Amino acid sequence: MTAVATSVEGFRRQAPRPARLLLHAFLALVSLGWLAPLALAVYASLRPYHETAEDGYFSLPRTLTLHYYASAWRDAELTKYFLNSLLIAVPGVVLTLFLASFVAFAITRVRLRFGVPLLVLFTAGNLLPPQIIVVPLYELFKRVPLPASMSDSLTLYDSYWGVIAIHVAFQTGFCVFVLANYMRTVPYEITEAARVDGAGVWLQYWRVILPLCRPALAALGTLEFTWMYNDFLWALVLMSTGDKMPVTSALNNLRGQFFTDYNLLAAGAVIVALPTMVVFFALQRQFIAGLTLGSSKG
Amino acid sequence: MATVRYDKATRIYPGTSRPAVDGLELEIGDGEFLVLVGPSGCGKSTSLRMLAGLEDVDQGAIYIQDRDVTNLPPKARDIAMVFQNYALYPHMTVYENMAFALKLRKTPKHEIDVRVKKAAAMLQLEEYLGRKPKALSGGQRQRVAMGRAIVREPQVFLMDEPLSNLDAKLRVQTRSQIATLQADLGITTVYVTHDQVEAMTMGHRVAVMLDGVLQQVASPRELYDKPANVFVAGFMGSPAMNIKKVPLTESGAKFADMILPLERSQIEAASADGGDKHVQVGFRPEDTDLVGAEDGGMPIHVDLVEELGSDAYVYGTVALEGQDERIIVRADPRNAPSLGDTVYVKPRAGQHHAFHAGNGRRL
Repeated sequence: MTAVATSVEGFRRQAPRPARLLLHAFLALVSLGWLAPLALAVYASLRPYHETAEDGYFSLPRTLTLHYYASAWRDAELTKYFLNSLLIAVPGVVLTLFLASFVAFAITRVRLRFGVPLLVLFTAGNLLPPQIIVVPLYELFKRVPLPASMSDSLTLYDSYWGVIAIHVAFQTGFCVFVLANYMRTVPYEITEAARVDGAGVWLQYWRVILPLCRPALAALGTLEFTWMYNDFLWALVLMSTGDKMPVTSALNNLRGQFFTDYNLLAAGAVIVALPTMVVFFALQRQFIAGLTLGSSKG
Repeated sequence: MATVRYDKATRIYPGTSRPAVDGLELEIGDGEFLVLVGPSGCGKSTSLRMLAGLEDVDQGAIYIQDRDVTNLPPKARDIAMVFQNYALYPHMTVYENMAFALKLRKTPKHEIDVRVKKAAAMLQLEEYLGRKPKALSGGQRQRVAMGRAIVREPQVFLMDEPLSNLDAKLRVQTRSQIATLQADLGITTVYVTHDQVEAMTMGHRVAVMLDGVLQQVASPRELYDKPANVFVAGFMGSPAMNIKKVPLTESGAKFADMILPLERSQIEAASADGGDKHVQVGFRPEDTDLVGAEDGGMPIHVDLVEELGSDAYVYGTVALEGQDERIIVRADPRNAPSLGDTVYVKPRAGQHHAFHAGNGRRL
């Protein structure tokens, strides 16, 4: 039947096939499934507690107010914790991308004897679930001394260095994998042209390959920032001073000892989620930029 | 300005036993335009890349202006290279692409500017200096790649099939532009191509390679008139030379009912080294005449006629020792035979070539 329909319709417009309709229905359903809880959280954060307590969360609103956002910001001292998050995520992302791009460059551009096994090792290390190494790391970090200028606790434990180090260690493998695949798409002749032009290994990396990887770096930067920013586990395990917690862990401050205002918590959660979205929308264009287009024949 | 010398240069790729380039010995004069030509996999690109420093030299040496560059990195060799796919830096403008090498060499800014603008003027690229490669056509990209080499003012230009990504018409046009440019600049140039027309039209001398071994280096004229062996004879010229293995007689080669005369020394050489009383003779399609049935030509049964406007090529078969063998001859396009005709063909006197039946060398 499909065949008949398409042949009758001719070349101008093909009738959507049932499989395609099914696919779109499925995709719509899944995205709804993901968005619904978020929408509900946003909705709840705009309504006073007593109202949802009386009518339930799935009711029509009587009043909508931004009151909770103000009090969440104030009560939880979010500014301070945001800064803490940035102190972890920004150096973490920069360091991860820097190191990963080095490794990826070496694997793809320099003739390396064990290039492929190395890449496999990196990727395999990434498959290790973090939960397994939480306790050993905790013990390890408590035994690694740091000078007082770097850590108040005099060890890696309860210092940003430790959290950043663990983020970098965990994310580098994935970034190497992505960047190496991306660098492979850059024609090898471009490196050779740079060599003939007189560029050494560093300049080939810094002036030629790295600028060409901007789309991949932007995509990874966004992703990594989101991951490090969203991290809850490592900060919880490897930090002890409440004041130094990142913002995700600080949401806890909005919970009372006996009573939790979930509408307030929802407002806090939305505030905490905002930076991730801002980062995504700001860098969205970088995803699309196809810088290598036109480098060779075409 | 420089001479280039390959001294038994050999390249063996790791994991292979047969050398990709086998003991190449070649001297290229100052200001010369030398073309390396051969079928794919013959080692011509590898030879060029060895000179560029992009490929290791396993044995032998390479000299540029009497300086041993065998183990020098590309940047220390003072060469510039044009790649087949141009390998422009996509994130830089045309200007930056051309200036990159000079910038790395810490050339003063105003001098970079002068040189880039001069090269751009030569290549009619002035209005595109601010554009990125992706905003250029194929021909323009090719010219940028040329410009990037020119601004360097290197001792040697290396070009690796720089025209193969252009369409046929542009290729012919660019071909002559490159030849003119090279003549103006007078810079020693090594040019790799698989296209024998490019080789014939551009090169001062042409080096023909096969399976990593240099077959012959000569001027295009000599290559065409006196090919050193069967391979060169068959490779240069289009359509290819008719080369057949035929019995040797006392006065020459027996080709169908005709005897193609050979000199005494040629016959002696053909009989030596296991010649087996045979000889390979060849004549070019354009070195033949169609004659009447009684004039002693060989009869050819026509099975295809290609009309090119300026020429017509007649494809047919002739019986040689009981076997049908394919023969191509050129005919007057306004008087070409038709399919199924039998025509009589006579190679022009003295225009045939003889090669040893066993080793294929010219006799």
